[in-house]
Amino acid sequence: MMETILEIKHLNKTYPDGTEALKDISLSVKKGEFIVIIGPSGAGKSTFLRSINRLSEPSGGEILFHGEDIVKANRAKLRKIRRNIGMIFQGFNLVKRLPTVRNVLHGKLGYMSTWKGALGLFGQEEVEEALDILERVGLEKQAFKRADELSGGQQQRVAIARAINQSPSMILADEPIASLDPNASRVVMDYLQKACRDEGFTTIVNLHQVDFAKEYADRIVGIKNGEVYFDGPVHELTEDVIKAIYATDKEAMPV
Amino acid sequence: MRQEALKVSPSSQPSMTKKQSKYDEYKRRRKILLKSQAYIVGLISLLALWSIWGTGFNLLSLVFGTYEILVFIFTDMFPPDLSVIGSLISPALDTLYMSYVGMVISVLVSLILGVLAANNLSPHWIVARVSRSVTAFLRSVPAVVWAIILVSGIGLGPLTGTIAIGLSGIGILGKAYAEVLESIDENQLEGVRATGANWFQVIGQAVWPQFKAGFVSWSLYKLDMNIREAAILGLVGAGGLGYYLQGSINLFQYKEAATAILMIFALILLVEYMTAKIRERII
Amino acid sequence: MIKNKETFRQQKKVQNSIFTFLAFAFFVFSMLQLNIVPERIVRSIDRLGYIFSNMFPPVTNEPLNLFGAAIESIQVAILGTILGVLISLFLAVLAAKNLTFSPYLSYFIKAFAGFVRAVPALIWALLFIVAVGLGPTPGILALAINSIGMLVKVYGEALEEIDMGIVEALESAGATKLQVILQGVFPSVLTAFTAWSLFRLDVNIRYSAILGVVGAGGIGWELMKAAQMSRYDEALMVTIVIFGMVMSAEVISEFMKKRTNAATAQALN
Ligand SMILES: Nc1ncnc2c1ncn2[C@@H]1O[C@H](COP(=O)(O)OP(=O)(O)OP(=O)(O)O)[C@@H](O)[C@H]1O
Ligand SMILES: [Mg+2]
Repeated sequence: MMETILEIKHLNKTYPDGTEALKDISLSVKKGEFIVIIGPSGAGKSTFLRSINRLSEPSGGEILFHGEDIVKANRAKLRKIRRNIGMIFQGFNLVKRLPTVRNVLHGKLGYMSTWKGALGLFGQEEVEEALDILERVGLEKQAFKRADELSGGQQQRVAIARAINQSPSMILADEPIASLDPNASRVVMDYLQKACRDEGFTTIVNLHQVDFAKEYADRIVGIKNGEVYFDGPVHELTEDVIKAIYATDKEAMPV
Repeated sequence: MRQEALKVSPSSQPSMTKKQSKYDEYKRRRKILLKSQAYIVGLISLLALWSIWGTGFNLLSLVFGTYEILVFIFTDMFPPDLSVIGSLISPALDTLYMSYVGMVISVLVSLILGVLAANNLSPHWIVARVSRSVTAFLRSVPAVVWAIILVSGIGLGPLTGTIAIGLSGIGILGKAYAEVLESIDENQLEGVRATGANWFQVIGQAVWPQFKAGFVSWSLYKLDMNIREAAILGLVGAGGLGYYLQGSINLFQYKEAATAILMIFALILLVEYMTAKIRERII
Repeated sequence: MIKNKETFRQQKKVQNSIFTFLAFAFFVFSMLQLNIVPERIVRSIDRLGYIFSNMFPPVTNEPLNLFGAAIESIQVAILGTILGVLISLFLAVLAAKNLTFSPYLSYFIKAFAGFVRAVPALIWALLFIVAVGLGPTPGILALAINSIGMLVKVYGEALEEIDMGIVEALESAGATKLQVILQGVFPSVLTAFTAWSLFRLDVNIRYSAILGVVGAGGIGWELMKAAQMSRYDEALMVTIVIFGMVMSAEVISEFMKKRTNAATAQALN
C-alpha cells in the first residue's frame, strides 16, 4: 500500500456572500496518484483546488499534507508548504513581460531568502536547472523569448516548467487546457503526465472534458454542488454516472 | 601568439557542453540587461548628485521639512480661522469670474486660431504654421509669467489675472480645437461642399456638428484648469483668493491663510462638479 | 412618434439657446463684477502696447545669472521628481487595493494623495517657505509632495489593473510579498510607471520655472526682478528662456519615453 500524501477531512468553504461552495469534503490521496476532478460548472472544483494551498481560505476542516495541517499553518509554515505544491492555472499566469526562463526561475522563489529572491539573484545552478527543465517540456528554443511571444500551449508548458522547478511533491492544475485548442491540449496534458510520472509527483487536475479525464486519470473524483459525488477508478465511471454528475438536481439518480 | 589563442571562441571547443553554452547565453543577456539598468540608474544618480550640488539640497531637509511642515500645518494653521469666511467671499467670486472671463476670451481667440491651424480648414499652410507656432509659444509659457509681466504694466488686480489666464488658455485650446477639427470626417465636408455651400455653410452644416462634443469638453476642461490657475495668479498680485492668501501669509495670519486654502479647495471642487454636470447635459 | 422626435429636437434647440444666452449673460455679469468696462479695456490696451513695444529687442545684462537660474530650476525639478517618484513607488503599493496590507491604510493614503494633489504646487511652495525658509529647498519639497499627490494616484491605478493571476501564481510557489511585488508586479507595470514618471518630470519643469516668484529658487525670481523694475526687454528674455526650458523638457521627455520603451523591450528579452 502506498503512503497517503494528502488527507482532507470535512473541508468546508463558505464565501463571504454566503455561497456554500464546499460541503464537508473528505478525500484521501496516495503518493503518485493522478487524480482528475470533474463536475458541472459552479460545482466547486476550483474552490476545492484553491483551498488546498489556501489561495482561498477554507472555512472549516483539516487538510493534512505530509501529516501537517495546512489550514492551521502560519505564514512562514504556509510558505514552506506552498513551495512544495506546484500550481497550474487556466490563464497560465506568467509574468508576460519577462523572458520564459525567468518565469521558470520563479519556481525557486520559495527556497530563496526574501531579498535575494526579490532582486532575482539566481545562481548558476538554478539557471541551469531551469534551462534543463525548459528543455524537458520542449521549449529550449524559447528560453529567452518574452513569455507573451509564446503560443497559449507553450505558455502553459512554461507554467508546468515553473511548477516542476519548485521540486514539489504535488501538483494542482485548475483547468490547465480550458483555453487551448484540442491539439495543444493534448500536448500540454502529455507533458503534465510525463512530468508527474518521471518525477513521481502526485497530481490533481480539474478538467471539463470527460474524455480527457478518462484518458489521463488513475482515479476520478466527481464533484457536484460542493460535495464528492463519485470517487473511483476510471473504469467505474460509467455513462450513467457521468450523466448523473452533470445532470441537474431533479434528474439526479443515486449511484 | 597570445592574441591568436584568445580568438578561439569558447563555443568551438568540444569540451564545452550544450548546457554550459546555454548558461553563457543566459549570462550574456543578463549582462546586457544589467548594463542598461546600470546606465539608467547611473544617469539618474548623476543627475541627482549634480542637482543636490547645484541647489545645496540636504537630504536631511527631507526629514526636517516634513517635520516642519507638519508642525506648521498643525500648530500654526490649525484650526483655520473660519470667522474670515465673510471677507473671503468676494475674492472667491473674483477668482470665479476671472476663470470664466479668461475662458471665454481664450475660447473666442482659439476658435479662430484653431480653424486657421487645422490642416483641413486652413486657408493656407503658412497660415497654419504661424497659427501653430503662436499657440505653441503661448502653451509653453506658464500663465504666472504673463501675470507677472502684466502686473507691472497694467497694475494689480483681476483684469491682469483675466488676461494672463486668457493668454495661456489660447495655447491649450488652440491646439486642442485644431486637433479636433482635423479629426472630423472629410466625406461629410465634401458632401456639403458638393451642394455648393459657401464656407460659412460648410462650417455650420458639416463642421460644427462633429466639432461640438470636443469643443464643449475641452472648453469645460479649461475652465477646471482656470480655477486652479486663477487661485495661484493672485500670489503674484493678480487678484482673487491667491492675493488674499499671499497677504495673510505676509502678515503671519496663518489661520486665515488656512481658511483661504480651504476656500480654494472648495471652489475647485465646486467648479469641477458643475462642469461635470454641464458636460453630462450637453453631450 | 415622429412628432415626438420633432418636439424633442425643438426642445433641445430651445434648451441650447437658453444655455448659450446664460453663458453670455454670465460673461457680461463677470466682466462688470471685475470692473472690466470698455474704458478700462481701452486704457489697458494702451498699456499693453507700451509693454509690448518696450519688450523688443529682448536683452539680458547678466547672462550667466540667467543661465544659472534656469539650471537651478531644472535641478529643482529633477530632485522634486526623483523624491516624488521614490516615495510614490512605496506609497502606491500600500495604496493599491489589491496589494495593500489593510484597506484602511489604502484609504488613508489615497485621501492624503487626493488632498495633496488638490493644493497647487505654488501654494505648497509658499507653505514650505514659511516652514523651512527661502531658497531651492522649499521648491524641491513642494514639487516632491505635489508629485506624490499625482503619482500615487496613477501608479496605484496601474497596480490595481494588474492581472492578479500573477500574484496568485507566485504566492502559490511560496514567494514572499516583497518577492511577488518586485518579481511579478513591477515588471508588469514598468512601462506605465516610466511613462508617468517622465510625464511628471515634464510637469515639474514647468512648475519649477515659476516657483521662484514666491522665492522658492530658480528662474522665476529673475522674472520677478525684471518685471518689478519694469524692464520688459529683460522680462521677455527670461520668458524666452522659460519657453526654451519647457519646450525642451517636452521634447526630451518624449524622446526618453521612446528610448526607455525600446530599451526595456530589448533588455527584457
Ligand atoms: N470569490 C467568490 N465569491 C463568492 N462566491 C464564489 C466565489 N468564487 C466562486 N464562488 C461560487 O462558489 C461556487 C463554486 O465555484 P467554483 O469556481 O469553485 O466552481 P467550478 O466548479 O470551478 O466551476 P467552473 O467549472 O465554472 O470553473 C459557485 O457557486 C461560485 O459562484
Ligand atoms: Mg473553475
